Amino acid sequence: MATEEDEDRILRVWTPRILRASVLTSASLLIVGLIVMGLSAPGFYIDRVGDIQMHGRKAVKQDWASLTVEAFQGHPRAILMVGLLILTLVPLGRVAFTFFFFLKEKDHAFTILTATVLVLLIVGVMLGRVG
Amino acid sequence: MLIVVGELLLLALGAGFIGSISGLGGGVFIVPGLTLLGHVPIHVAIGASLISVVATSAGASAAFVRDGWTNLRVAMALEVATVSGAIVGASLAGVLSGRVLEMLFAVMMLISAYFAARRTGEHILPSSDRLAERLKLGGSFPESDGRMVRYGVRNLPGGAAIMVVAGLMSGMLGIGAGALKVVAMDSVMGLPLKVSSATSNFMIGVTAGAGALVFLSRGDVSVVISSPVALGVTAGALIGSRMLMHAKVEALRLVFIVLLLLIAVEMGWRALGGI
Repeated sequence: MATEEDEDRILRVWTPRILRASVLTSASLLIVGLIVMGLSAPGFYIDRVGDIQMHGRKAVKQDWASLTVEAFQGHPRAILMVGLLILTLVPLGRVAFTFFFFLKEKDHAFTILTATVLVLLIVGVMLGRVG
Repeated sequence: MLIVVGELLLLALGAGFIGSISGLGGGVFIVPGLTLLGHVPIHVAIGASLISVVATSAGASAAFVRDGWTNLRVAMALEVATVSGAIVGASLAGVLSGRVLEMLFAVMMLISAYFAARRTGEHILPSSDRLAERLKLGGSFPESDGRMVRYGVRNLPGGAAIMVVAGLMSGMLGIGAGALKVVAMDSVMGLPLKVSSATSNFMIGVTAGAGALVFLSRGDVSVVISSPVALGVTAGALIGSRMLMHAKVEALRLVFIVLLLLIAVEMGWRALGGI
């Protein structure tokens, strides 16, 4: 088991790495998605923005598995959605990392705290799906 | 398409830049920017803003974490409270009307202006209370001469109670609610101000991420709006944080307070049907 100082050092080295890598991946996907959309379906983009400005939001629930497949096939909308999803999952990934870290270190109080945050985030997804 | 993307990118870049240099966060400016200037409905603006806030928090907090300013254990202990609040807030945002959200946003801007105007002195608690001691929440931060200064933490339940409200506001209005988070840690829990700011910045990511997850799962995030906005805010925040090292922020303080008050008036007026 690591000492308190080691624990702190490991978290301080790995947390920024996880945050930076995820933001870079997501930003790259968003840039690629916008370029592909500009080249293949610029009309769709303009229509969607105009539609939102005129008629407001229309909630469209996504099937995230098929969205990922579509992104690999090069569909710009799917690439953008996956980029946004990765960005949103950055904190979830960070909390998951700390959960496993505290579990390994047998820091029971913080294992429970981080597990609770993870459960709450999953509840949030479920609430959104049924809402 | 290039012009529309360019306009959204510029708007977001400006919001990210002002948000970063003022320390108020991009969300405070992107939601009114999109609704008042971009004519985007507030529900869509909130979804886009929440995702941008995750990006800016991740970018900005990385350096604070590495340099030892962020108290990771305090952040993780309080995230249970902010995430609970954010999930409830984001769920409420789905059922509340645009006008109610605009009015709440106006009120939140007034509160932020008050906190931005408030001046606090630096203080350091010599030791933690029993609960904070048990959870090993106390920490240390580096002084300019490299010397480490140790500090204690008190009243975790009191701080957590304010964090629930901060999370609620974040999820409901698409902002980081950093001002409330700093008050919870600095005034209620006795953390040093700079540690409170760095820790708040770190926590904002998880709070906004929880809200954004609810919006995304509900299908309430528009890719065509959110994608250029997320890129623009992130770039703006990056430029802002670089300039922050050279800028005389104190001199700009009054400008930011006036800007917040103007946003409060515009959003309130819009909520009452004035626009």
